[in-house]
Parts: sequence; structure tokens; C-alpha cells
Amino acid sequence: MDFLRPTTWADALAAKAERPEATPIQGGTDVMVEINLDKGRPAALLDLNPVAELRDWSSEDGWLRIGAGVSYTRLIDELGDRLPGLAQASRTVGSPQIRNRGTVAGNLGAASPAGDSHPPLLASDALVEAESVRGSRLIPIGEFYLGVKRNALEPDELIRAVRVPYADGPQYFSKIGTRNAMVIAVCSFAVALHPSRRGVGTGIGSAAPTPRRAPEAEEFLAGELDWDGRTAVPDETARRFGELVARAASPIDDVRGTRDYRVHALAVMARRTLGWAWTEYRGI
Amino acid sequence: MRYVGQPIDRLDGVAKTTGAARFSAEYPYPNLAYAALVHATIARGRITRIDTGTARKTPGVLAVITHGNAPEMKPAPKPNQFDMSTLAAATSVNYLNTDEVYWNGQPVAVVVAETLDVAREAAYLIEVEYAEYPAAVDFAAEEGNARPQKSTMLSEADGRKGDAEAALADAPFALDLRYTTAQVNHNAIEPHSTTAYWDGDHLILHEGSQNVAWVRDHLAIRFDLPKQNVRVISPFVGGAFGGKSFVWPGTVLTALAAKVTGRPVRMMLTREGVFRTVGGRTPSIQRVAIGAQLDGSMTALIHTSVCQVGRTGGWSEQVTSVSRHLYDAANIQVQQNLVGMDLLANTIMRAPGESIGSFALEATVDELAYELGLDPIELRARNEPARNPLDGKAFSHRLLMECFEEGAKEFGWAGRPQEPGSMRDGRWLIGMGVAAAYHPAWRFPANLTVRLSDDGTVLIRCGLHEMGMGSATAVSQIAADALCVPMAAVTVAYGDTALPDTTTAGASSQTASVTASLLAACAKLDRAVFTLARKTPGSPLRGLRRADVTARDGGLYNGSRGESYHDILRRAGRASVEARVGADTRLGEIADQVRSMSKFLLDRRRWVKAACGAQFCEVLVDSDTGETRISRWLGVFDVGRVVNAKTAASQLRGGIVMGIGLALTEETLVDPRNGRIVNASLSEYHVPVHADIPVIDVRYLDDPDPTMPLGVVGIGEVGVTGVAGAVANAVFHATGKRIRDLPITLDKLL
Ligand SMILES: Cc1cc2nc3c(=O)[nH]c(=O)nc-3n(C[C@H](O)[C@H](O)[C@H](O)COP(=O)(O)OP(=O)(O)OC[C@H]3O[C@@H](n4cnc5c(N)ncnc54)[C@H](O)[C@@H]3O)c2cc1C
Repeated sequence: MDFLRPTTWADALAAKAERPEATPIQGGTDVMVEINLDKGRPAALLDLNPVAELRDWSSEDGWLRIGAGVSYTRLIDELGDRLPGLAQASRTVGSPQIRNRGTVAGNLGAASPAGDSHPPLLASDALVEAESVRGSRLIPIGEFYLGVKRNALEPDELIRAVRVPYADGPQYFSKIGTRNAMVIAVCSFAVALHPSRRGVGTGIGSAAPTPRRAPEAEEFLAGELDWDGRTAVPDETARRFGELVARAASPIDDVRGTRDYRVHALAVMARRTLGWAWTEYRGI
Repeated sequence: MRYVGQPIDRLDGVAKTTGAARFSAEYPYPNLAYAALVHATIARGRITRIDTGTARKTPGVLAVITHGNAPEMKPAPKPNQFDMSTLAAATSVNYLNTDEVYWNGQPVAVVVAETLDVAREAAYLIEVEYAEYPAAVDFAAEEGNARPQKSTMLSEADGRKGDAEAALADAPFALDLRYTTAQVNHNAIEPHSTTAYWDGDHLILHEGSQNVAWVRDHLAIRFDLPKQNVRVISPFVGGAFGGKSFVWPGTVLTALAAKVTGRPVRMMLTREGVFRTVGGRTPSIQRVAIGAQLDGSMTALIHTSVCQVGRTGGWSEQVTSVSRHLYDAANIQVQQNLVGMDLLANTIMRAPGESIGSFALEATVDELAYELGLDPIELRARNEPARNPLDGKAFSHRLLMECFEEGAKEFGWAGRPQEPGSMRDGRWLIGMGVAAAYHPAWRFPANLTVRLSDDGTVLIRCGLHEMGMGSATAVSQIAADALCVPMAAVTVAYGDTALPDTTTAGASSQTASVTASLLAACAKLDRAVFTLARKTPGSPLRGLRRADVTARDGGLYNGSRGESYHDILRRAGRASVEARVGADTRLGEIADQVRSMSKFLLDRRRWVKAACGAQFCEVLVDSDTGETRISRWLGVFDVGRVVNAKTAASQLRGGIVMGIGLALTEETLVDPRNGRIVNASLSEYHVPVHADIPVIDVRYLDDPDPTMPLGVVGIGEVGVTGVAGAVANAVFHATGKRIRDLPITLDKLL
């Protein structure tokens, strides 16, 4: 196994172009586990840690551009106020050690249906900034996940950054696990309210082959909410929202939970996060 | 007593926190080679072909050992209760000396290589083909094939008083319930590892073990060596919980690999390797039926169990033993059954039997209390026996109700509304549950020597085991008090078969066993030193009687007359004086064993001895998702005299944490098609993490048991008993749902 250590972004892209089969490694919290369990043997590891450009985040035009090397811990500390949904999800990742090493870009690279950053990224219409020596492109998050642990990156592409719009309304994340930390989600859900365009964003985790949105639920809720009057959400509306979210999922039975449990829990989390979000929106 | 009872820091604390403590996989040897196992992937059958070609050609590989080329080993001895060391064989399989496969995961080849990576890599390259036989691997499906368990001298598998079935049928109120508990595994932080080398026909082994003498005896048999040619060194064990009591395949095969290659060999099992080759706690199916008068007094108590054992071995748990002791039912029937399975032998795991048996019993008692509208503690008080309920023997000591009383007061039990589902904090339903903890007290023979040197220091040599519980610290405290020397003057040498055989670190018996011998040796030593002083010309103690003299401050004195041990020995021209407990000849050993066994049986005829306690638990259950979290815990225990306030509390607390895992998250999943454990890793097998465990308040009554040495009763296992019952009862109080199947996972609560 070769170990490639470019020190600049340009060198990293060149290395990836030359060795498209190389596995990028950032925090290594997925890569090293896979190697230890001997799930696939990369011909080469492409270590992105020395690439200084990736460690920064910046903001412009109401968007945050989070470099691929920004750890969960830093995201929570430095961006938590502007990205509450993603920060909540980040706080539930692994343990302090994992959060010190792990990154959102690594979560995207792994593209596990259970990755915790996916639901809030979906709910807030994030963009994945992918780059190769051929150029750079922005992949809408909804088009990024292709299958179980498969994403839309081309073999020569790397994730440069994740772009997330500033929260324009309340955002909430909820995760169910069998214990309080170090736990892969049984299922998870994120909601984002976008009052400026009277829209609703959702993201479902661990309940389908890929993370996904619940478009019907979003559309339904956006039409039902009393955006101007800010009156309470009728129980019936919340219930219907929950149902539509649950219906968008296609979960399976596995060691962490049953299909039926997941369907039930998604509806609960959808109602619950909506309740929190709307309460915040109403300012009470 | 100056030291006994104090919260003294563990003597090995600094060594462990600084990394100076060496565990069995950390002994550096020049020329060390590394071994890795290849595991069978079928449950039962015969190997028809093993292709080791690619593995052998891998650069760095020294040997690939299979049944085709392994040197012959003697078979494991048949278990025999009179020679406890025959119990050491975890399974009866003669590893790599047979082409038969008895469980999914059985080692079928060992690779020895220059590095660990090469060994593991080559292990992957070995291809095995099998002829499969039919296999019984689905415990739930095998229930009907269970047969009555045989009683042994140590543990009775059945018992009855009166006619419990008839009394149950006649009872004004009766419950007849079925419980199931999942298989669980120990998951000590240190996976099993062995470093072995041969020095001619001497075998030296570094091995994390709860019983070094058993490992020695067993390997001596397997490799056809005199016992004294085997030395097992095990000063530090990174947790064990019963999983390192017996000799598992990795140990035997490391010694074999070292023999084949002529090099020191180290084998460190992966976490998966531990799941595949070291047994866990059996799953169980239990029936508990209670008949009662409307005032709660029990007229019938029936407790039966079905557990599994591997066809090649497995510990028979005393699942129903708690029902022999806890309640004063007029009619009692207990009966344990076993079903043989084509699975890895199960083994002892912290409170084997009592941990899961107390779940079923205590959940039923709780249910009875609710059905009769009685407070669960009041119901227990009404059925608290004066003598052992099954046979009328005397309790040596029992403060169970005192534990409940103190616990109830501290926990705020009385303030809780009994109505289930009546306490709530937002989306969280709150519930409080209580259960009795109970674990028998054991004591086994332990050999040791105590040496007093002319520099005033004391050396205790005894082959005890330190798995992290602070045994050596406790022994130092007791010896320092017994000899009236400062603790700093005492050194304990332990964890080595070069020392006198002590006893197993199991059955919560080690401290009590060692204490008995230690006190006897210290008394002997005291007499020897005094005699020496009295006879030595010029000694200020000359001519005094022992009764006139007291030991204090590291010497013997009569008022201001007397002198330090240092001066006594110097004056007498002696470098040291030593006292010994236990024989050092084979014949003497057998005599000792027979003597101690008859004492043990006599003792058992007279007394029922145990540690007990009351577990109080508060849970929060999410009303919509069923997520269950422990929010408060209090355990009050009657564990006789406490030797070290700090390590004792840690033992009890650790047991409670393990019980919380048993109750809520831990489950070893066995594929019912092929007997393969599917979650053989800590990412899929969920032990509780720090964030799951609230502050655990542990108290004890510190009242010595008059029939035990120094009043000490074992403390290592009682903490885990009753925990799952308390959790299940609290979950009921929170939700109104009775979950009779462990672990209590979220989906069961919807
Ligand atoms: C103990 C433990 C607990 C965990 N708990 C959680 C949890 O609670 N929730 C959760 O979601 N995850 C969890 N994980 C998984 C892991 O921590 C996360 O997926 C994390 O986000 C991975 O980030 P990383 O930087 O470590 O990625 P790495 O391991 O470095 O990489 C992950 C994947 O992304 C690719 N990759 C990395 N950087 C780039 C890049 N710039 N461009 C293209 N591809 C790239 C890699 O090639 C690899 O395929 C846990 C892992 C462990 C070991």
C-alpha cells in the first residue's frame, strides 16, 4: 500500500488524477476502521491532513464554505450558531475523540445511510464542492447519495468543501440510538424551516439505502404552516407530517432495530422536531 | 485496625496509569514470533481439505499448523470434582489434533509469522472445505430437548420443599411467568493474549488468567510435562469477569506454536477472536411461578430454567439458586435444565446463574406486589425468612431487610406513587424499581508464605490474581494490620505459578480464601518471631510470655520494654523468618484438598452464607420512542466486612454497570442458520458507555460475617445480581409494560 502525502491542494488533485484508485483519508475514523476489519485493501492512501487549505472555513453571501478538513469539534465550536442543525447532529457523533478527528467531508465520502451529518445537510440544501484537475463543480446534496456507501464523486474528484447556507430559520436534529454515545443511529431525522421562502427542508437517516428527503412531507407542511400568523400547528397537521416522513423511508430490520420501529420512530421524530422548530419560530 | 476498611488507593494504580504494568501481550522477547488463528465457518462437520499453500509462501510466515501437521497433544482430562484443576479445560476438543469441527469459530489452523500483520494476513489466505453435519444452533428452537441438569458437590441443580405445584394451584393468588435472557459476552478491555516460549522441556507462559495454577496443570497434561516444568506468569490481567478462568484454545495453541517454531510466540486475539473462541454467558428461558395469600405471604415458589451448554463443554449455571434463599415460601421447587448445542462452550461470567436468575425472580416478585397492591419492599419484608427457606439451615449472617430499609430512605422510595405511568417529566416517563441482590459466599484453600526480613519488611508470596479489583492492595492492608507494620513495609508477590498456589479468582472467593490463610500465616509468623526473641540472649523480651506482649509499630513490646522486628531478627542473627500455609508436596496438596473439601461440605451443611443487597433504580423512558435511560442508582449491600472502602465500592459499582448492560443493551446474536456470532465486535455489541451511566451511589453495612475469615464475604459478583430485575421493575413503573425478555431494547417498549 502506498501512502501519498501531498502538502497542497493542487498536489492532492494531481495525485488523485494520477492514482484515481487511491483512498483519501482525512480523520481516518472510517478509513482506519475499514482497514482494520480488512474490508477492502486500498492500493494507496491519499492523506489530506497536510493540506492546509482544507482546514479553513469561510463565509460569503450567506453561505458557509466548510473545508474538508474541519473537524466536528471545530464545527460545533465555531459554526454552531450559524448551522444549528448540523451542529446538533455533530454533537451526537461518536465520542470526543471521534469528533476531534472526524469530518463532515469524511461522512460524505463514506456516504453511509446512517451518517449523522446527512439529514441536516439535506434539510438545509447544502452543496458538495467537488474538485479535480479537470475543474470544480457543486453537487446539490440531494444528488450526492447514489446508493449504500456510494456517492456522486468521480474517481479523480475530491471533496474540497461543503457549502451550507446560513440557517434562515429554526433547524433541529433528532437521533435514536441504543445508548447515549458511540452509537450508530437506529434512525435519525432533521428538519429546517426556511421562512424566507416559506419552505421546509427534511432529511432522513438510517431508514433507506441512502439518506433522503421526504419531499411530499416538505411540500405538505410548507403549505399548512401559518407562516405569517405563526399560530400553533394543529395536531392533525403534525401527525400528517409525521406520516408522510415515515412513508418516505424504506427501512429494513437489522441488529439495531426493526423496520416497524423505524417507521414509528421517524414519525415521532418528525412531529417532535417540528414542534421544537415551530416553537422557536413563534418566539415562545 | 489501622488499614482494613480504609479507602486506600490501589498499589498498582501508578504502574497502570503510567503504562509500566506489563500485560501478557507486552513481554518483549528477542526473536518473538506472532500467531493468528483461522476460525471454522461451519457449526459442525469435518474438514475435508485445507489449502495452506499461499499462506505458507507468504514472506515472513514461519509455520502454518493444521490438524494435518500439528504435533500430538494429550486430550483434556475429564472433569472431576475432586481435582478442581480438571475443570480448567474450557472445551474437550483436542485443538488441531482432530479434523472435526464442533462450533462455528473453532480454530482450524494457526499461522506463525515474523510479524502480527503477516500472521493475520496469511490466516486470511487459508482456504478450508468441510463436510457439514446437521447442527443444533438455535437455542429457542432447542428448548424441547433440554434435560435435567446434574447436581455437583458445589452446586445443586434442583431442590424441593413440599408440593409447590399443588400449592400454586390452590393459591388464592398466583402468577406463572416465562422469561428469556440473551447470550452475553464478557468483553474485558484486554482481549485474551498469551506469550509462550519453551526453554528445553520447560514451558513459560505469560497469560492473563484468573487461575494460573489451572493453566499450568492443564498445559502440563496437554503437553505431557511434569507440572513443575510449566510456569505461568500473570501479574496483571486486564479484566476477566470469568472469561479468563478456564483455558481456551488460544492459550493451548500459542504453546503449541512456540513448540513447533522453537521461538517465543505471542498471540493476541482480536475482539472477534475472543467472541469466536471464548464462551460467554448462556442464554436462558426461565419459569417463575408464585402462589400467595392475599396478604402477600408466599405459599408456592417455582423457579425452573433452561440454559445451553456446548457439546464439548460449558458451565452449568445455578440460575435458580436465588430462589432457594430469598423468600420464605411454604412450598418451593427449583429445577435447572440444560440443552446441548453445537456451539462454543459457554462459561462463567460474573455471578453465573444469579445474575439472570435474580432477574426472573425479582421481576415476578415485583409483579406480585403490584397485583396485590402492596409495596414491593413490604412484600419482601413479609416473606423474609428467618432460616434458609428450602432446608431450614441457618444463615451465617443476613441483613437483607436492613439494606432495603436504608436504601428506601436514601432513595426516596416512600415518596413515589405506586401507580405505573404516574411520574413524568415532559416526554420522559419516570419509573422507580427495586430488587434484591444475592450471591453465595465461597472460600477455597489458598497457599501462601509470609516472610519477615531483618530490615523490617514483609513479603507475602501467593499466586493470587489481580484483574483490576485491588486484591494485592487488600492483602497488604490485612497483613499490615495483622503484623502491626506500616503498609509500606509490605510487598505482595502474586500472579505467578512460581509462588504458592493460591486459589481461583472466581466465585467472589479470592479475598476470603486468601484472608483465611494470611491470618493463619501471620499468627504463625508472630509466634515464630516471639519464640525467637524470647530465646535470644540479651533480648528485652527474654522470659516474657506471649500474652504479656503486644505487636505494635513494627515490633513486639511490653509497655516500653521490647524491640522492633528489625532488632529481634538482627539480635538473633536471622536474615528472615517465614511462615507457610499449605503443603508444598503433591501428597500434602491432596491431603489439603481433601481436608478443605470436607471442611467446605461441613460448613455448607451448617450455614448458608452469602452477600446480599438492595438495588434501587430510577429510569426515564421516552413515551414515544421507548428509549430507556438510567437516571439514578443506589445499591446498599451486606457484604460482611469491607477491607478497602474504595476498591469495594468500585467492585460493586462495576457489577451494577455490567448489570445495566445485561438489562438494556448487551446481546450476542447467533445466526440461527449456522451458529455464527454476527455481532462479534464492540461496534455492534453494545456495552454501556460513560454517557449511559449516572452517578452510582453504593453503600454497604460493613458488618462482619462471624463465620468468614475477618468477617469478609466476597464482593465481586453480588453487584451485578438484581440489577436487571430492578431495571425491568422500574421500566414497568414508568410505562406499565412488563418486559420479560432481556435486553429491554426500544422496540420491545412500543
Ligand atoms: C468509534 C466510532 C464512532 C463513530 N460514530 C459515528 C456517529 O455517531 N455518527 C456518524 O455519522 N459517524 C460515526 N462514525 C463514523 C465516522 O467517524 C464519520 O463518518 C466521520 O464523519 C468520518 O470522517 P473522517 O474525516 O474521519 O473520514 P475518513 O475516515 O478519513 O474518510 C471517510 C471516507 O471519506 C473519504 N474521504 C475523506 N475525505 C475526503 C475528501 N476530501 N474527498 C473525498 N473523499 C474523502 C475517504 O476516502 C473515506 O471513504 C464513527 C466512527 C467510529 C470509529
